[in-house]
Amino acid sequence: MDTSPHLARPQWMSLLAQSDPAELAAAMDAFAPPADLTWLRPAQTGLYMLRGRIGGTGPQFNFGEITATRCSVQAGDHIGHAWVRGSNTRHAELAALADAMLQDDQQHVPLCLHVIEPLRRALDRRREEASRKAAASKVEFFTVVRGE
Amino acid sequence: MLAAFAHPVFDSQRSFRELLQAMARPAAPRALPVLPPAPAPIAPAAMAILLTLCDATTTVWLQQPEQEAVRHLQFHTGLKRVDKPQDADFALVTDPFSMPPLHAFARGDLRYPDRSASLIMQVSAFRTEGQARFAGPGIRTSETLAIDGLPGDFWQQRTALAPQLPLGIDVYFVAGQQVVGLPRTTRLLEG
Repeated sequence: MDTSPHLARPQWMSLLAQSDPAELAAAMDAFAPPADLTWLRPAQTGLYMLRGRIGGTGPQFNFGEITATRCSVQAGDHIGHAWVRGSNTRHAELAALADAMLQDDQQHVPLCLHVIEPLRRALDRRREEASRKAAASKVEFFTVVRGE
Repeated sequence: MLAAFAHPVFDSQRSFRELLQAMARPAAPRALPVLPPAPAPIAPAAMAILLTLCDATTTVWLQQPEQEAVRHLQFHTGLKRVDKPQDADFALVTDPFSMPPLHAFARGDLRYPDRSASLIMQVSAFRTEGQARFAGPGIRTSETLAIDGLPGDFWQQRTALAPQLPLGIDVYFVAGQQVVGLPRTTRLLEG
């Protein structure tokens, strides 16, 4: 099912879910939605329980609940799914639609060029900025040897 | 694949209300408010019941588990499918003439009579005339109803289960847009 030379489906789904909704909407504007769309599961918002382990080891504990919105759409023979953080239904719809269209061989390449690539660069940029900000606030601790 | 309820919350709430009412007033046909799309061999009315009552915690037995129908149900409800009628909370009978005998389904046990199967049976039509009269809780005197499209010995099999009350099997019959509830307490009157 992997038709992309760069990204596999789980990777582009993850990218679409993490993208900025406004950027995704702007990028998808250029693509007309397929004529034979069926919304299998209209966008619906709910809660997921996040579980974690301290330090990645130890027993699991309930970390907290997170709002998520999911959506599934069928375009032609392809079914697109999306789960996105937050309650932005438009984001979930666009991500599901993009997932369905990316599975179509004819639309895959233009979508990769005009949607996936810019979103990936934007995400990398945001991560870079966040890590710079974190690095700037790093505090070094020194121990002064007492002269005795 | 097909879509399910257009408004999952409101549509299932409205359907649930009708199903409650159908069980509270047995043997009286009621119209289901919403008919979702359904893949063959499942009727839209049966699909409305399954979408309303089933989720990941219910087990369902399908008489004709066609691949498309199973995929559709699992996507929209997340239900657990079982191969043996005995293990099912809900059973969908799409062809009553080749269905297993009624005693093959779970009737609950004496401590938990609610752990019995609810059958959803697709029949051809309901007629509120004829010889068949029903009585029991929820019916003032008697209710006249004929159900077309059932095997000849169905009522004998059902009557044979009656002495086991409170154990038993509840049935939803569907035909077209209509649903009829027949809980285990409803008796078919002779003659």
